[in-house]
Amino acid sequence: MSTDKSAHTPASKGTALSLDTWAVIIACLLALAVRFDILKHVGW
Amino acid sequence: MASSISLPRVESGNPLVNALRIVPGVLLLAGIGYAGKILEHSVNAYAKAHHWTFPNIEYVLWAILIGLVISNTLAIPRLFQPGIATYEFWLKLGIVLLGARFVLADVLKLGGISLGLVVIEITISLALMTLLGRLFKLKPKLTSLLAIGSSVCGVSAIIAAKGAIDADDEDSSFAIAAILALGALSLFTFPAIAHALHMNDVSYGLWAGLGVDNTAEATAAGALYSDAAGKIAVLAKTTRNAMIGFVVLAYALYWAGRGQAERVTNKAAFLWKKFPKFVLGFLLMSLLVGFHAFSKEQVVSLGNLSKWAFLLTFAGVGLRTNFREMSQQGLRPFIVGALGEVLIAGLTLGLVVGANRFWGL
Repeated sequence: MSTDKSAHTPASKGTALSLDTWAVIIACLLALAVRFDILKHVGW
Repeated sequence: MASSISLPRVESGNPLVNALRIVPGVLLLAGIGYAGKILEHSVNAYAKAHHWTFPNIEYVLWAILIGLVISNTLAIPRLFQPGIATYEFWLKLGIVLLGARFVLADVLKLGGISLGLVVIEITISLALMTLLGRLFKLKPKLTSLLAIGSSVCGVSAIIAAKGAIDADDEDSSFAIAAILALGALSLFTFPAIAHALHMNDVSYGLWAGLGVDNTAEATAAGALYSDAAGKIAVLAKTTRNAMIGFVVLAYALYWAGRGQAERVTNKAAFLWKKFPKFVLGFLLMSLLVGFHAFSKEQVVSLGNLSKWAFLLTFAGVGLRTNFREMSQQGLRPFIVGALGEVLIAGLTLGLVVGANRFWGL
């Protein structure tokens, strides 16, 4: 086992995204929704 | 025990089942957070109508208190656990969105000051906790975990370090319990001390970000003082979080050198793996606002979304704090943690007061 084993993780099962990455992705989607007034249209 | 302290992960082959499993807990977080908001308004309105002298208790404290009461008096059904565990996701989402409320120049100025203070804080905290661990004859790896947790970023740092230094589960649970219990106490002590010292928002925010270990508690401790202090606390804490990779790498190399942890073959990959990516999201959001990608009204909307995400986080902070379970983890790690935390809190207060005099925060 290596401490930096993520660098050698086989990609066969797909790359699992970390909680941090998900938070950034969702934040970006929300920012886009705000930027293009989509949230406003749905009554937020 | 560990299930309530380490974050349970939702694992199932079916993404739809996973998504559905978190719904009850998330609704509970939202319900508690919303109840906190309702209580803030209704208690203040009632006190005003009856001419009572009643301290203004913010929704943050109400949400934490409701969560604390539930988790320490009722057995929370397992149905809610996966959703409650998402509180850390809401915290990180809230931090990224909060980036929109910072002008990049402020991030660079305050982040620069924070970075200088963080380096001093981490150096002294690591030395102090190591010394206390040896004095109290704690196991060396438990001492390492406590030192990492109290100097960088609480539970996340302990979890990140656990694998890197091959620490056992029991040591991790001890360290996490000590950090969480002390974080819960800091929610009540930090604002009280700051009010007694008449600290301004920036100074207090920096102190909370530097002195409170766990990111959720640091965010809550800041927000309990004021909205502005909450913003600064998140900035200081995020700067501290950004150092996690370097500290964990140093410990991994130390224990590998002693033949008690696996060798780190690729230091750059190790640093990237441990680096909290939400820090980049926070900076990206601040950068976008700096380039006027959003109107003023839209920036306010992003700030409101951030507040809602934090509301779920604060409810989760209360819900996952179970004092009885923490007390079963043993007294010595807690005493070492408590002594270290009090000294670190005093030290960081001194640093912030010094910085305030020097730079006029």
